[in-house]
Amino acid sequence: MSWHWESTVYAIIAFGILYWLLSKYAFGPLFAIMEKRRELVLEQMNTAETSRKAAEQQMEEQKAALQQARKEAYEIIEQARTTSSKQADEIVQSAKNEATRLKDDALKDIESEKNKAIAALRTEVGGISVKIASKIIEKQVDEKSQEQLVDQYLKEVGSK
Amino acid sequence: MHEFPIVTVGPFNIELASFIAITISALVTFLVARLAVANLSVDNPSKMQNFLEWVVDFVHNLISSAMPLNRVKPFLSLGMTLIMFIFISNLLGLPFGIVTDTHHAHESIGITEELLEEKGGHVEIAWWKSPTADISVTAGLALIVFVIVHFLGLKLNNKHYLKHYFHPYPIFFPVNIIETISKPVTLALRLFANIYAGEVLIATILMLKWVGIPFLIAWQGFSIFVGGIQAFLFTMLTMVYISQAAIHDEDDHH
Repeated sequence: MSWHWESTVYAIIAFGILYWLLSKYAFGPLFAIMEKRRELVLEQMNTAETSRKAAEQQMEEQKAALQQARKEAYEIIEQARTTSSKQADEIVQSAKNEATRLKDDALKDIESEKNKAIAALRTEVGGISVKIASKIIEKQVDEKSQEQLVDQYLKEVGSK
Repeated sequence: MHEFPIVTVGPFNIELASFIAITISALVTFLVARLAVANLSVDNPSKMQNFLEWVVDFVHNLISSAMPLNRVKPFLSLGMTLIMFIFISNLLGLPFGIVTDTHHAHESIGITEELLEEKGGHVEIAWWKSPTADISVTAGLALIVFVIVHFLGLKLNNKHYLKHYFHPYPIFFPVNIIETISKPVTLALRLFANIYAGEVLIATILMLKWVGIPFLIAWQGFSIFVGGIQAFLFTMLTMVYISQAAIHDEDDHH
């Protein structure tokens, strides 16, 4: 093994050329591609983050909408309940009124029937009394004075 | 041992095996890299692209262990070229060797009558080896690192770079100079010695003929491991040296 400075120089030149060629035709493009991939990954991660946020927001909106719908449904039910109870009260009230009215009518009918019966009874009683009295005081009174007597008597009965 | 052919072109003594090995290593490195980036794709990388991206990640981690993360980028290409070229160089001499026998003098490739005489009229000429099994080649690589380290030190970190030669006291200047010189020397020698030793042992095992086959398999497997470790170490140390010379933490101002 001996020293050859020509080999040294050739090694330096060869390495220099190799370095230049590799940098230009192999590593340059490769580094560019790796950088591009890094950017791609970064961009995809950003996109994922944005879509995640959007999804979260949508979820929040949906939740709010659901809450709103639930509230509305509750209100509707509550309204229906108050309406129905009010209606029931009304129905009961009107039925009560009707019953009262019917009762009053019946009482009035009873009253008027009673009065009619009393009047009929009075006429009947008058006729019968006249007959009885005419039988008793027959011949004692003429026709005219007898009528006066009956009327007076009837008046007395009526005022009683 | 084998003799290596040497061609004299004008004033230059060109050692053919080293030149062939360097050329082939560089070509293989470039082809592997080109193959890997042939069909670049962002979302559907090929297997080769995946492999090269793994290497990039590996080298990136390696460099970032030596210097702050935001300074790594400019040295990534250098680290990639170093680790790939040295690893492929280390493996180049492992699978086979090309050795020719000669009984005649070939003046044109440095086989002289005296050498033939010395070796007993029979010379084996090796045409194939790892380029990193040659101290001249590893010295070249270490020299590149040396120049890069001190150029970057002067350019990026002028004041502290010059000051570190007199650290902690001016009297330490000679020690610091020795340290500075020893760095590239150890860099070159470590790489050369590991790979050269591996090839020498392979040549030695080959002398055992068929008895040595299990040893050869085991040693070649281990040599792949050593080649990987040495490529890693060379790149790692390069980055550490660059970091020491050129990267200066702001905290040290206080």
